[in-house]
Amino acid sequence: MHPHFLRLLLQLELITPDDATRIERFESARPFSLHWELKTLLYLGVLLLNLGLGYLIYQNIDSVGHAALIALIGAVSATCFWYAYRRRQPFSPGETESPTPYYDYVLLLGCLLFLVMEGYWQYQYQIFGTRYGLATFIPMVLFFGLAYRLDNRGVLSLGITALASWLGIAVTPQDLLAHNDFNSETIVNTGILLCVLLSAVPFLSELRDFKKHFSITYLNFGVHIGMIACLSGMMALDRPLLYFPMLCVAVGFFIWYARTRASLYFLTVAVLYGYIGFTYMLLNYVTDMDFMFYLLYFILSCAGVIVFLLNYKRFIKTDAP
Amino acid sequence: MIAYDRAGLDALLIRDAAQEWCRQGLLSEEQWLAVQAQHKSGFYSPNVFVRIGLAIFTLVLLSAALGLGALISDLNSETGFALLCLFFGLVLFLMLELWIIGSARHYGSGVDDMLLYFGTSLLLGGLYMLMPSGSQPLDYACVTLPFLVVGSIRYLDRLMTAAAFGYALMILMLLLMKSPQLALFAMPFAGMLFAGGVYFLARHGQSRYAWRHWHSALAVLELLAIVLFYVSGNYWVVQQAGYGWFQIEQPPIAWFFWIFTFAVPLAYLYFGLRRKDRLMLDVGLGCVAVAVFTYRAYFHVMPLAWAAVLGGAVLFAVAYFSIRHLRKTKGVYTYDADADKTLLQEIEQQLIAQHLAQQPAPAPNKDASLGGGQFGGGGADGQF
Repeated sequence: MHPHFLRLLLQLELITPDDATRIERFESARPFSLHWELKTLLYLGVLLLNLGLGYLIYQNIDSVGHAALIALIGAVSATCFWYAYRRRQPFSPGETESPTPYYDYVLLLGCLLFLVMEGYWQYQYQIFGTRYGLATFIPMVLFFGLAYRLDNRGVLSLGITALASWLGIAVTPQDLLAHNDFNSETIVNTGILLCVLLSAVPFLSELRDFKKHFSITYLNFGVHIGMIACLSGMMALDRPLLYFPMLCVAVGFFIWYARTRASLYFLTVAVLYGYIGFTYMLLNYVTDMDFMFYLLYFILSCAGVIVFLLNYKRFIKTDAP
Repeated sequence: MIAYDRAGLDALLIRDAAQEWCRQGLLSEEQWLAVQAQHKSGFYSPNVFVRIGLAIFTLVLLSAALGLGALISDLNSETGFALLCLFFGLVLFLMLELWIIGSARHYGSGVDDMLLYFGTSLLLGGLYMLMPSGSQPLDYACVTLPFLVVGSIRYLDRLMTAAAFGYALMILMLLLMKSPQLALFAMPFAGMLFAGGVYFLARHGQSRYAWRHWHSALAVLELLAIVLFYVSGNYWVVQQAGYGWFQIEQPPIAWFFWIFTFAVPLAYLYFGLRRKDRLMLDVGLGCVAVAVFTYRAYFHVMPLAWAAVLGGAVLFAVAYFSIRHLRKTKGVYTYDADADKTLLQEIEQQLIAQHLAQQPAPAPNKDASLGGGQFGGGGADGQF
């Protein structure tokens, strides 16, 4: 296909014959990139190792071999961290490039195996006793530290997951004293709190110009956790009057963010969650209408949203930072 | 033949090529701007997230509109509903042609995609309801296929192309099933022949300049053909099909299918690398995994956990040494990232991004009650 376009551009005098020969030579001598294939193999390798070692431990928990296994996992994890430490880049508040192509995967393997090992210790020896919070607090601190020091967004995701479960755990001991529905309410409120926390971090980092490229990871977790928490507060806890305003605030915040930062992902996600929440409110509170009314509501509201999304270019600020 | 404006489609192709040359430093910034100025597609093709959002809302809107139509027309017979579907489907196609593609110049916006899918489903649904009650699956498939073929040719739609491939294969297999004696032996080879035919059509089509707008649709066909060819001769598939349909424990000429199971992935890898054919190479990598699973399904050589550990270590080592080698020696192959991503890679990127976010949390995860499966899906490898 290229020769045709090349001839066309040449005819239109958009390129010179010199350019054309250069492009011709480039296209014919172009090396074949194996980048994606090899990266996929690395990733699958890490995943399989993690799964396999994780299974092995639990299969052999009462056998003689388990001490050797745990030593093996510890050694592999330690080697990964040692490699990551040896090859680390100097710290910078901006984005740094990975020192080697395998660096991110080795670090990821180290972190995942650390989780396997720590989980095993707690299971077998109860090293944290009943202080379950500590068991998630330690990996959380470790992962956040590694993510910031070594500039790795994958590890940051692990850290945020650990943070979420740490918050989940830290509030659960009270559950033993309370009712079941109270239990889920704490979870919903924790989710909203976590959303606020995760959404605030990017602004601090923008203010301080410190790891600004982590924002998208924080906000991606924040938007889903927060919106789902609000929606389950409305639907499962059946307290729409309390949680619907919160959902509106969250939707408004993310639409504002999308507008100022030109992020179409957050725009679409916020509009979708907002529409679900609004529709639920309508169906819940306007109950004595004709079936036709609801169909008309869906037609008109969807048409409205479509028109809004179609004109996103006018809504999004293109001179965003 | 194509619903979309051909000049606009050409402009898109030229811009893509010129952008890549500019990225490679073969064209100057001014030249790239000049190309952009001269080749304006004028299409409305939003970003992928907006596209998904638009498709979802269009789907809800159309479903509600269909419901409203059924409510107003107050139908109480199946024929009536079938006619309503046909009428509604025709209206949707008129809207798609005259308004969305015609005056609003949408191209891959989510609205045009969903109108196409919904309209086709309605037309087919209406026809299905009108067909006599004793109709066989073969009849339904024969009615469906022309719509899918026309849809993929006229609207350049990749999903429809894939569906057309599936239905064509289904028709072939159903025809073969009519004579069970023959089917047992012919089925694997019919699949291979069909795959081979589609493969050569797709390869030939992609090299034709006149067919340039169907390039991505033909690439989908090529991918499916490569996959189908392997699947047709894979021992596990053949054995399961033979057992399921003809109650035969072991298929005839088993040795052939065992050789096929292992030789074809290697051939894919070899030719993929040799001919710099990314599609074949990527499918070959997948087929190697399938071959390993096939072997494990019949011979238990190792417990699953050990196999995973060993496999993971081997994969990691292979990738590690290949990358090291490629970075040291400059040649025909390189580790440097390529700009043009294939379909498979786009899908994979999405999957990996999702998977990372799904890494199990190191605790019995109470957040699961938040309702979304997205985060904190209780640990797959059972920590704690």
